[in-house]
Amino acid sequence: MNWKSLTLLAGLACAPALAQAETGKLVLTGGVSSITGTAGGGITPWAVIGSNATEGEWGASAFTTRAVTHDYALTSYGAALGWNERVELSVARQDFDASAAVALNGIAAFGVQPGQHIRMDVLGLKVRVAGDAILDADTWMPQIAVGLEHKRVRPGSLQSVFDFLGADTQSTDFYVSATKLVLDKGLLLNATLRSTRANQNGLLGFGSAAPGRGSRSLQPEFSVAWLLRHDLAIGAEWRFKPDNLQATGRAAGLGAALREDAWRDLFIAWAPSKSLSLTLAWADLGRIVPGITGGRRQSGAYLSAQVAF
Amino acid sequence: MKIFSLCFALILAGANLAHAQTAAAPAAAPAGLYAALGEKAGIDRLADDFVERLLRHPRIGPQFKDTKPAAFKESLAEQFCALSGGPCSYQGADMREVHADLDINKGDFNALVEVLQRAMDAQGIPFFQQNRLLALLAPMHRDVITVH
Repeated sequence: MNWKSLTLLAGLACAPALAQAETGKLVLTGGVSSITGTAGGGITPWAVIGSNATEGEWGASAFTTRAVTHDYALTSYGAALGWNERVELSVARQDFDASAAVALNGIAAFGVQPGQHIRMDVLGLKVRVAGDAILDADTWMPQIAVGLEHKRVRPGSLQSVFDFLGADTQSTDFYVSATKLVLDKGLLLNATLRSTRANQNGLLGFGSAAPGRGSRSLQPEFSVAWLLRHDLAIGAEWRFKPDNLQATGRAAGLGAALREDAWRDLFIAWAPSKSLSLTLAWADLGRIVPGITGGRRQSGAYLSAQVAF
Repeated sequence: MKIFSLCFALILAGANLAHAQTAAAPAAAPAGLYAALGEKAGIDRLADDFVERLLRHPRIGPQFKDTKPAAFKESLAEQFCALSGGPCSYQGADMREVHADLDINKGDFNALVEVLQRAMDAQGIPFFQQNRLLALLAPMHRDVITVH
């Protein structure tokens, strides 16, 4: 057992102590934990406030997620605090297995180490500003929240590549989310609009030197989930992303080697108890530095577990 | 005989349509929900079981200590029947007045929703139909929740 597992276990053990003894959110209505730690779908935030706490209560959740694609793998874990269905504070740590990046040494003398991992920390804050996604079943007014995700990435020996691309190692995303449960149809809809400079969610840094894009852009993200039972939901997500690096790569004679695509997934979420949820997904993360991965789309399995109180 | 059946069906359909149009104004009951709940007999069984479960509930059971179970069951059954499009009119008290003197927070309200879900499960009401009834009841949180 390594220190990461220990930290996670400690977090899980503390969560019930941190939360109130009795929290009263309806099962699955707090969403699951996204890879950045905030409550939502798997790859996009929702306007719901995490944990099982509802009005006048505070609660906590912790999660771990593993996604494995053809050439990469991502482990993410973290925790969130929810208060009064109003404010959510979240932390997450990501570990991205970028071993494939050693091939970049064939392009230039970047000095990328074999088996290099990229690590990123995400601090999230979300505030519900209006609406009730679940109970206001007689109106179309959604629940609306605004949030931020402050990200710091540590690329290790890939720092030389970040420098070459002109990518920063920290930045903050801002977003607004609207979530609505169409209760009589058992259908949950979410739309998020994000202002971001992140390349691959920040794992490849933020922004790019000219002629790539160094500035923010607005990116939409969509989720739809269908409740099959009290404890079971299936759904799909689509998250648009900027393509900041491609032009920089093209100018360096690398063609479309740095192209970035949208992320999408199909998921099934199951809550065997009120405090545990498991999410299994098939994720397609599009091309991630296709120049070193034979142009393959990075699709694969995604598994996440969350405890919430 | 066939022509007679067809005419009869058309007249019925016309009557239904006219009825639907007049009833649509405030809150049209979802088609088929009353039947899906087992009509009046099924709704009576549901209300009966729901109230029994509420009284036993550790969190919200004590809220009902001054409630007369028989009258509560009858009032709930009337309300569910009327909401689901059955031949009942809800004569019970105004939801806001009834809850005004109680301390009911959102967690209590959600607990009540979960008890109702379990009662509907026990009656074999399909999940999809449960959600149609819940969609009619959930907006009452504005009148029922007194502590924010």
